Amino acid sequence: MADATLTGPATVPPIRRTSTMIFLAALAVFVLLVTLLADAGMISTSTVKLLGKTLCLALAAVAMDVVWGYTGILSLGHMAFFGLGGYAIGMWLMWARTEAIVLADMAARTLPPTPSELQDAIGSQIFGVVGTSDIPMIWTFAHSLPLQLAMVVLVPGLLALVFGWLAFRSRVAGVYLSILTQAMTLALSLYLFQNDSGLRGNNGLSGLQNIPGFETTSQATISIAFFWGSALALGLGYLLFAWVVSGRMGSVLRAVRDDEARVRFLGYHVESFKLFAFTLTAIVTGIAGALYYPQAGIINPNEIAPVASIYLAVWVAIGGRGRLYGAAIGAIVVSLLSNWFTSGGAPDIDLGIYEIRWTEWWLVLLGVSFICVTLFAPQGLGGLFDLLSARRRSGRRASYGPDTGAKRPEEGAE
Amino acid sequence: MLRLLLALAITLIVAPAAAQDDLQAILQTHAEEVANPGRRSVGALIDDLLASDLPSVPVFLDAWQDREVVRDSRDGRFFIAGDEEDGVVTLLDIANGDEIGTAPEAALEEVRPNGGVRRVIGGALVQFRLSDPDPRARQRALASIARRPDADQIDPLRASIEEEDDAGILAEKERLLNILVARFGATTEDRIAAIEALAGEINPDARAALSEILRTEDRVVPAGEATDGNVAGTLSLPRAEAYGRLVDAELAPPGVSPAEIRDTLLANVEAGAVAGTRLADLDTDTARHAAYERLSETGRAAPFVSDEEIDAAIAAHSFEAVFLEEDEAVIDAARATLGSVERQVALNRAADLGLDALSLASIYFLAAIGLAITFGVMGVINMAHGEFIMMGAYTGYVVQQFVPDYTLSLVIALPLAFIVAAAAGVAMERLVIRHLYHRPLETLLATFGISIALQQLAKNIFGTQARPLTSPDWLGGQLVVNELVSISYIRIAIFVLALAFLGLLLFILNRTRLGLEVRAVTQNPGMAASMGIDPDRINMMTFALGSGIAGIAGVAIGLYAQVTSEMGANYIVQSFMTVVVGGVGNVWGTLAGAGLIGVLQKLIEGMNPSNTLAAQTYMILFIILFIQFRPRGIVALRGRAAEG
Amino acid sequence: MLIRSLFVTGALCVAAQPGVAQETDCPVKVGVLHSLSGTMAISETTLKDVMEMLIEQQNEAGGVLGCDIEAVVVDPASDWPRFAELGRQLLTEDEVDVIFGSWTSVSRKSVLPVLEELNGLMFYPVQYEGEESSKNVFYTGAAPNQQAIPAVDYFLEELGIEKFALLGTDYVYPRTTNNILESYLQDKGIASEDIFVNYTPFGHSDWSTIVSDVVELGSDGSLVGVISTINGDANIGFYKELAAQGIDAADIPVVAFSVGEEELSGLDTSNLVGHLAAWNYFMSADTPENEEFIAAWHDFTGDENRVTNDPMEAHYIGFNMWVNAVEEAGTTDVDAVREAMWGQEFPNLTGGTAVMGTNHHLSKPVLIGEIREDGQFDIISETDPVPGDAWTDYLPDSAVLTSDWKELDCGMYNTRTETCVQQTSNY
Repeated sequence: MADATLTGPATVPPIRRTSTMIFLAALAVFVLLVTLLADAGMISTSTVKLLGKTLCLALAAVAMDVVWGYTGILSLGHMAFFGLGGYAIGMWLMWARTEAIVLADMAARTLPPTPSELQDAIGSQIFGVVGTSDIPMIWTFAHSLPLQLAMVVLVPGLLALVFGWLAFRSRVAGVYLSILTQAMTLALSLYLFQNDSGLRGNNGLSGLQNIPGFETTSQATISIAFFWGSALALGLGYLLFAWVVSGRMGSVLRAVRDDEARVRFLGYHVESFKLFAFTLTAIVTGIAGALYYPQAGIINPNEIAPVASIYLAVWVAIGGRGRLYGAAIGAIVVSLLSNWFTSGGAPDIDLGIYEIRWTEWWLVLLGVSFICVTLFAPQGLGGLFDLLSARRRSGRRASYGPDTGAKRPEEGAE
Repeated sequence: MLRLLLALAITLIVAPAAAQDDLQAILQTHAEEVANPGRRSVGALIDDLLASDLPSVPVFLDAWQDREVVRDSRDGRFFIAGDEEDGVVTLLDIANGDEIGTAPEAALEEVRPNGGVRRVIGGALVQFRLSDPDPRARQRALASIARRPDADQIDPLRASIEEEDDAGILAEKERLLNILVARFGATTEDRIAAIEALAGEINPDARAALSEILRTEDRVVPAGEATDGNVAGTLSLPRAEAYGRLVDAELAPPGVSPAEIRDTLLANVEAGAVAGTRLADLDTDTARHAAYERLSETGRAAPFVSDEEIDAAIAAHSFEAVFLEEDEAVIDAARATLGSVERQVALNRAADLGLDALSLASIYFLAAIGLAITFGVMGVINMAHGEFIMMGAYTGYVVQQFVPDYTLSLVIALPLAFIVAAAAGVAMERLVIRHLYHRPLETLLATFGISIALQQLAKNIFGTQARPLTSPDWLGGQLVVNELVSISYIRIAIFVLALAFLGLLLFILNRTRLGLEVRAVTQNPGMAASMGIDPDRINMMTFALGSGIAGIAGVAIGLYAQVTSEMGANYIVQSFMTVVVGGVGNVWGTLAGAGLIGVLQKLIEGMNPSNTLAAQTYMILFIILFIQFRPRGIVALRGRAAEG
Repeated sequence: MLIRSLFVTGALCVAAQPGVAQETDCPVKVGVLHSLSGTMAISETTLKDVMEMLIEQQNEAGGVLGCDIEAVVVDPASDWPRFAELGRQLLTEDEVDVIFGSWTSVSRKSVLPVLEELNGLMFYPVQYEGEESSKNVFYTGAAPNQQAIPAVDYFLEELGIEKFALLGTDYVYPRTTNNILESYLQDKGIASEDIFVNYTPFGHSDWSTIVSDVVELGSDGSLVGVISTINGDANIGFYKELAAQGIDAADIPVVAFSVGEEELSGLDTSNLVGHLAAWNYFMSADTPENEEFIAAWHDFTGDENRVTNDPMEAHYIGFNMWVNAVEEAGTTDVDAVREAMWGQEFPNLTGGTAVMGTNHHLSKPVLIGEIREDGQFDIISETDPVPGDAWTDYLPDSAVLTSDWKELDCGMYNTRTETCVQQTSNY
């Protein structure tokens, strides 16, 4: 409370500023460490790819935290934006790679190819898998990297804008909104599952790890480059969101979360604030997806099934809502653990009468740990950091209401 | 032959009857065909058999069709297989079915004619069976006629009508006779009478006969010229298709495709150039086209057919559909009858689709109603609801493992599934949800955790393979209203179950003490508590009820679809949407939601039958839009209860 | 500076690819890349088990090149990107000599780029849609001409079917197979309006309308046959609906390409008797090899009720061919083994001999079986061995393509322009 009077409401509260600095510093150290270890051959390429992907997931989780932990919209559809970003970049990757192959093949021919022959050949190469050679309308811009990069931002942004505008305008809120966002991602994934969707149906876009123009570069180098890119995106995204949730804007967003009606009566246009948070996070999630899928190598409609978005929410919950670093930590810890358990890294436990094989029991463990976190540690892993900082600061201990998940007492203290 | 005779002499204990000998002899001359018949080649053998006029032929054909014939691999003779005991099979005479000996199972080869051959055999048997004393044999014969109507069948069928005593079969015979006469009758009057008698028949075979009469053939004629025959209509074909037909009829020169241009150019490369154009410059369609034109001018390529020429050629011809049937009066009669039949068919199909929609709606209702109770009353989003459905289905499966009688096991499984799921629901409510009442979004996450844990547990216990849950025989089959409208009994049962639960819930909520208290807690928990109602107890009871119904829904769904660990997950999103579209906290709302979604989905499916996935996508899009305009659902609650 | 060192490491990594000169490395490692959890675990777990059994048997028989064989089992959890990730891990970290794995086409397409980048070797055991021939994959399952086309021929020739309903789950295998079949049927004179095509989502359960549509197709008295590429659980609802509507195999026969012994074990088969399936293997095949294989399988799993199926036979043939090829080449080096694989012969479990072609597909007989009451199949038709065709002859775009790694060193060779379209495959 004393701090708040010193710094004034408009500036960045010190706790957030320090946490941001610590987070960025930790990220930088981590990136350097991984790069050096990979350079020395102590970390394999697949691990670098895994870490790079995890950073992208962390960025998506940070965005999710802004929309849920700060604004109070439990979106169960944010992975749809993640996937759309991936599809947008994947289209260019596939097109450019195929174009290079087709050009190389046609260069050997007596007659130089006409533009339409070129198109047909590319079409049958890309869409032969789904039994057609026509190039769908949505691939119109696929030949151009800048246009497709614009799509990475525009497609998720526009979808979020339209969807959010419709939903917020008619005051769909709370649980209803969650179900509606879930319906959105389900509809999108079902649509993409169809072969006629023009994005190769269930097969999706594959071979994305081969970057056109860098055919001779080894995957070891490409994976480090993407790792850096992901880390940079996470760092920038974190800064952006730290700025958004601090100051005036942040206060209004949190107020919307805590009592939407009251904020409205105070004269704020609640819908605009919600729409802003929803759209901005959708765009950032889309960018995270665009960085993720070239590392994963393949994107298909399964990636945006409703359950993926629920997992995103779960990461944020486990990491601790209302703390950007909590969301990032949650995503990193849970997805890496998940990986470790399912890839057979965890040793099986022989109980004598029954052998616990983690590939079979990991999901049970994960499920039980969600329950425990929501019941016993609503502040998640991030709560651990609160304990550390609380020791140094005396704050209000009183409860601000029943929703113990968010970090209200601390926010009040700022 | 010598060996055969020797074998005959050795193996036959019973003195061979003359007829049996003849039949066996015919079979032996075609031995390979009998043992491995083919649909196209079996005709010769059947002709021989029929030509022999032996009374034993139908007996053999019957056994052959039913795959009861075996061949003794030691001597190549054919028998009908009788009972088997300790690896020894009783052999029956192919001519009359008498026991004539035994043979070790290992020495016998089963003769297994495939479906196509069996159909040919069935056709051959028709003449013997039309007057068979066994009504089932007569019905089989009629089914054969219906499948393959033929002019030869008119006389035997007409002859058999006179002595028919079974009213049902008689009607069927007369109907089939009409169909046969309509197509193959001798005089125009006969045929028209028969066609008119077919009015109101929506059976596929009657429609088939009518459309067979109205079958047309496409012809190309120069424009303005009259064709001989009865013209059914002029066709308007897409441009490429129309020109293709002209080319096929050799009325126009074939068009030159870009690929042909390319090949022609390639064939005419001279010193790095084609007709004066350098190869490197031939990278556009216009350049290639120009080079091709120059080639064709010098006669080195077929002339190019321009778009104008194609259009002109198409305009100069008309494309007509002409009836194959020559008798105009018959055509008119058939056309009129078919028109009226098709209207009826359309109505009936709509009714059938309506039944399907009703059935789908009742399934959605059953799956969602438990959720509607917990969600509506307690505002709790239970993501594990689907897993209660799964639990119910697995309960049904486990019961069937112990109680082999399907009816009895179903009687046990239904209440047991209710108890199991309700117990799980209560446990979940007490252990988890109770602590999260004021944090609905976190309930969502916690119950999602329960959901994935339960799903994985089910996998660990029952394996990933789908498990069978078999319905009793009396639920098998379907209720046939007519040839087009039918619904399976299992779906009727689900519908009845849904109705029963609707009634039960309405009764509990509106007529019992519990219902009163539940409604009180729904509307204002604080006030209810101060009136002496224990909200905790009510919440527990509600949860038990909601989960229990999900368990029963699981048994019902398992009976008509598959029991897997993921079956619940397939219904959960649909169920949520049903509840939200209908309006939360209201049984009628859920009913309306399920009805709307079921009908709409079938409607979209009906419009685009080849893509079920698209139907589901549009369905969800519709729901998203619907909620924009009615955020509180179809049946919206008013007052404080509406706030959530 | 850092970037530069990265490039150097990159170059080193390329040079130190696995499979280059490791003749004496013991034990020989075999990667098993089958999902043990998630939706595909239902089918793939069995294949992991059969690989463990084959490896155990081979070790008892003295291993390969005097080394023991060690299985490296990982779980991609039915998550397609995980196939690529774990494929890379198997090749670079575990340094396996060969991988046996994948079930769905999308999982194969996911791991393909990794295999080609690192020059790995994989055996793919499931029937698939064709249109692919990778230098680094041997396809031991059926291509469309080894399953779908013979089954349709059987329908046309033996059953005299006049109208076809092509029902499939909406993903690439049914889509491509149905495309090929549609064009094949039209070649055979079936009008396009006599072909009904429908796609349903995975796990579809509401079949009543679709079955009614199929019945309606036969309303003009034509014989209707169903070609089913319906995958997995959805089959259960489909066959239950057929039974409920009182349709038996004599009215409308169904031939399925994805229903085998394993799938039938989840069903009450009494209503399915007479429906058909086309595979290269049935458990009921009456040969001494098969008897021995089944006995070994029951012995290994300790469960007398476990069934065997077609992809298991594919792994059985693939693994034995690989062992023989390694022995022949005297090394586990990928390039040497690949060359030794061409022309490898090994007895089928159903009799006759499978031969590996230079297009990396097997030559195998096609069997058609009728479902029996006990969930097994009666084999009612068996063709001569059919060589697998990577590029179908019934689609115009792929009719001109061919694959021959021995003579042409190309998996996608355009016979018209006589050029190799690409050395890598089309993923």
